[in-house]
Amino acid sequence: MALADLVRSGWPDPGTRGRLGWVTASPACSLMIATLPLFDALLERRLAGAGRAWLQTALADIANGAAAERLASLISMASRHAPRGDLDPSAAERNDAQRLLPGWNPERWTTLEALRARLVLNHPDIDGASFSAVLEECFRYADGGELTALYRVLGHLPAGERFAWRAAEGCRTNMRTVFEATACDTPYPAQYFDDVAWHQLVIKAVFIEAPLWRVYGLDRRLSPELARMALDLADERRSAGRAVQPELWLCLGTHGGQRALDALDHEMSRADRRSRLAAALALGRAGADDRARALLGGESDPGVKATLESALAGRCDQSAFAIFETGSD
Amino acid sequence: MRFFDPHIHMSSRTTDDYRAMADAGIRAIIEPAFWLGQPRTQVGSFIDYFASLVGWERFRASQFGITHFCAIGLNSKEANNEGLAREVLEVLPRFAFKEGVVAIGEIGFDEITPAEERAYRAQIQLALENDMVIMVHSPHRDKKRGILRSIDIAKEMKVPMSKFIMDHNNEETIDDTLESGAWAAFSIYPHTKMGTDRMVDLVLKYGPERLIVDSSADWGVSDPLSVPRTARRMLERGVSAEAVELCTWKNALDAYAQSGQIDVAALERSPVIDQRALWEDNSVLRGQDPRVDELVPN
Repeated sequence: MALADLVRSGWPDPGTRGRLGWVTASPACSLMIATLPLFDALLERRLAGAGRAWLQTALADIANGAAAERLASLISMASRHAPRGDLDPSAAERNDAQRLLPGWNPERWTTLEALRARLVLNHPDIDGASFSAVLEECFRYADGGELTALYRVLGHLPAGERFAWRAAEGCRTNMRTVFEATACDTPYPAQYFDDVAWHQLVIKAVFIEAPLWRVYGLDRRLSPELARMALDLADERRSAGRAVQPELWLCLGTHGGQRALDALDHEMSRADRRSRLAAALALGRAGADDRARALLGGESDPGVKATLESALAGRCDQSAFAIFETGSD
Repeated sequence: MRFFDPHIHMSSRTTDDYRAMADAGIRAIIEPAFWLGQPRTQVGSFIDYFASLVGWERFRASQFGITHFCAIGLNSKEANNEGLAREVLEVLPRFAFKEGVVAIGEIGFDEITPAEERAYRAQIQLALENDMVIMVHSPHRDKKRGILRSIDIAKEMKVPMSKFIMDHNNEETIDDTLESGAWAAFSIYPHTKMGTDRMVDLVLKYGPERLIVDSSADWGVSDPLSVPRTARRMLERGVSAEAVELCTWKNALDAYAQSGQIDVAALERSPVIDQRALWEDNSVLRGQDPRVDELVPN
């Protein structure tokens, strides 16, 4: 078949790829965005008078139907109106976030990202046909900082399935900041990624040593295929004479079978403490209680011992792997 | 010492260069938009290029403790493809006001054609309307006339010359540039433009006020370390440390910080490299131990 014929016959229609989600937009969602009042409160507490005034003008502009180019430009200009630095949400604010949008943790947001997200969320047709094209245009012209804000806001949008292609693009990036904005501390991927995109996200997080435990919903979307990919990666690392990343063992759950137990045995026999802590947790996650109890008797490191006990007591969900985050131990 | 190279095309350089630059004390750079060595044929190529200047390249620089700023503009060579040039001018406002964009540039003359002049004037207008700094390239051929023409047009359009940087000067053009009130930048570039010892002669003769040293390193035979090398030569030949600092750090900072996009206090602090933000898949770090929290030796 000639290339031209192949392209004509075998190429998916752009609409079915979801590339420009407006083709498949669902009109049936509520206009209400649950997190909107929290964004207002967060910004109210952090913007100075001039910044708040600018925000009000910008929001009115957007609500009145500003063109895509204008919205993109307001998103750029926001850098001149937000204080630099982390959002640094209080415990109460983090709780509110989690309550309003389970899986959202704003701990690593900047104030500027919150301001940019707030602008996007004010689009008058946010659940309608025009918005997806507008958002895509914002992505096309975005700088690094704008990209992180745009990817972070995806989980807050109605009819989130419209943005699945875009979110997978976010995971294809080479900028770690952008990858983590897409993958971590947001409910979006677990809810909307298909299996291919989901597996790529998880394995890439391990590969680049992004904090996999922050990928919301990981424990609910473990699978035999993911366990196989993780174990293959572990073999690759060992063949290359390199240590296995502790967070790789998060990917197994109960799905790794005998191959996983052998790999964890091997890991427990290593001298490196981080590897042993991770393997201890993974044994608990695999339900290999007999194996964990057997190791407990001969274990001399009190930390590893405590972790084995913890795992046996069931305290080994993904959040237990927070201890491996860079800089936390 | 610490250095600011206010004209270098890092997209064309390797990570070895970034590492060597950081080791040599270069803390911040400006990457002005220019051409790629061959002409682009469609506006999308410009859009992706501008996006990379404020995206991937900025990220790449940060891995080495170097702060990356950029200037956005349509260069003079490609201004001569007028249909395309018009499309590019239309997308400039999409990028010119982004965080870290410190100037409109590099713009100016190459062959000194009417098409180049139209693009130059349009971009000066954009800068004026938005109170921006302007970085001006000067031609290889007929340089002196190109510089005079650039300055005349800027004056006619009432550009505040304190926000006008005239680049690629030499012994023949320095008087006109300084007399206009503009900043005079010099690209230390092997075989063409300006050499190290000639630069030292100029600093000794004119003093450091409003003189800026840059590398203009790109995809050609060029040297990303020419700013620190020139500084060393200046010291060897008796230029005072204060004067060296003005030409290789402070003057350029003063000129471009007028954009409001440079946190000078942050640049003054010792940079800290965090290569943990790197990764291995197509990334800049491939297997070696990350240099985390190392101070850049100055």
